Amino acid sequence: MNEVNQKKLLVMALFAGEIMLKNGAETYRVEDTIIRICKSRNFPFVEAYVTPTGIFISVDQEGEDINEMITYVKRIQGRSINLNKVAEVNAFSRRFVEGDLSVEEGMTQLKDIDQLAPYSLLMQALFGGIASAFATLLFGGNYLDFSAALLTSIILTFSIKRIASNGFNLFLTNMTGGFIAAFLSILFSYAHPNIHVDTVIIGAIMVMVPGVAITNAVRDSISGDLVSGLARGAEALLIATSIAFGVGFVLKTWIYITGGRLY
Amino acid sequence: MIYLLKHLGYAFISTIGFAFIFNTPKAALLRSGLAGAFGWAVYIVVNQVSGSVVLSTFMGSLCIGLVGEVFAILNKNPITVYIIPGIVPLVPGFGLYNTMLSLLENDYDGALLHGSQSVMIAIAIAGALTIALSVNSYRKRVFRRRSRLKI
Repeated sequence: MNEVNQKKLLVMALFAGEIMLKNGAETYRVEDTIIRICKSRNFPFVEAYVTPTGIFISVDQEGEDINEMITYVKRIQGRSINLNKVAEVNAFSRRFVEGDLSVEEGMTQLKDIDQLAPYSLLMQALFGGIASAFATLLFGGNYLDFSAALLTSIILTFSIKRIASNGFNLFLTNMTGGFIAAFLSILFSYAHPNIHVDTVIIGAIMVMVPGVAITNAVRDSISGDLVSGLARGAEALLIATSIAFGVGFVLKTWIYITGGRLY
Repeated sequence: MIYLLKHLGYAFISTIGFAFIFNTPKAALLRSGLAGAFGWAVYIVVNQVSGSVVLSTFMGSLCIGLVGEVFAILNKNPITVYIIPGIVPLVPGFGLYNTMLSLLENDYDGALLHGSQSVMIAIAIAGALTIALSVNSYRKRVFRRRSRLKI
């Protein structure tokens, strides 16, 4: 194998790991990818330690005094979910390890993957609405609940995606989501007596429910990354609490205004 | 039977919708929908037979994990792509909502009941995925050992 610039390779591996971690991959997968990429180009000593908020890598070559040991620390700021990018980087690392791709070429490919556009906002909002509406049917709603949940959830998904892309934190985003879901369901329940507030709210909040955080918490804990597992578990708990906070705020206000019981 | 088929269709469409929100790759959309529909069907059937929500959630998640496993092996994609959209309908949104509602009405017994049930369901999902994914890592280890022996 031809000589590779140690530093460039490391930066590329770090970039690959960063893309995966930022878009909702499990930490063990990120560690595995970084180690595979480094080992494939003749670095026998690689250690990677990844948590949901940072990546630490150090590599060394064979022979004690040929090269210095290199260590990189990368802080990961925002996290979103884009499973497409995770799958793409996964395929890329497989290509890179098996083939004879140069590091420069790999870097351009990774940059292309990083630029991959998600589904458009309208598309996501539309499908979020459809997902919630059919979830409402699964939980025993009628067809009026279905249409109310469809409209509520389209507005809800659109708003939380917009809020999240403007850089607001997890708590505020999900709290606003819960707020919108509860508020719109109450409005719809006045439109027709057969629309149930609880069914519509439950359907609508399914869009925000922390499915990814739960799955990744489990995966990380099994593979022994206890720190990451706990961090993801805390994320799931935080999301659930903030949704409940938003919904609860509106319902409590509604009880206060109408006076007495909920229905 | 018609009830089951209807639910199968709803779960399929719903899971595909969730998959869109998580930006699942286009090629994996239908497969994750299939995994979700299958898991929900198992949930419904077990729920009708046993009447226990926790047990049926466990069986449903286990099936999603195993189906996702098969798809992940066949398509060489990360397994999370298939299982994350599928388990969303099983996540205890209903319990979470009821817990909060009971708290609002100062009904602490109800809150405890619904809250503990939601925690049990979450644990059931986590346990089922743990089992399905441990099988996966065991298979990988065996596979790696075999390929090393060949060399």
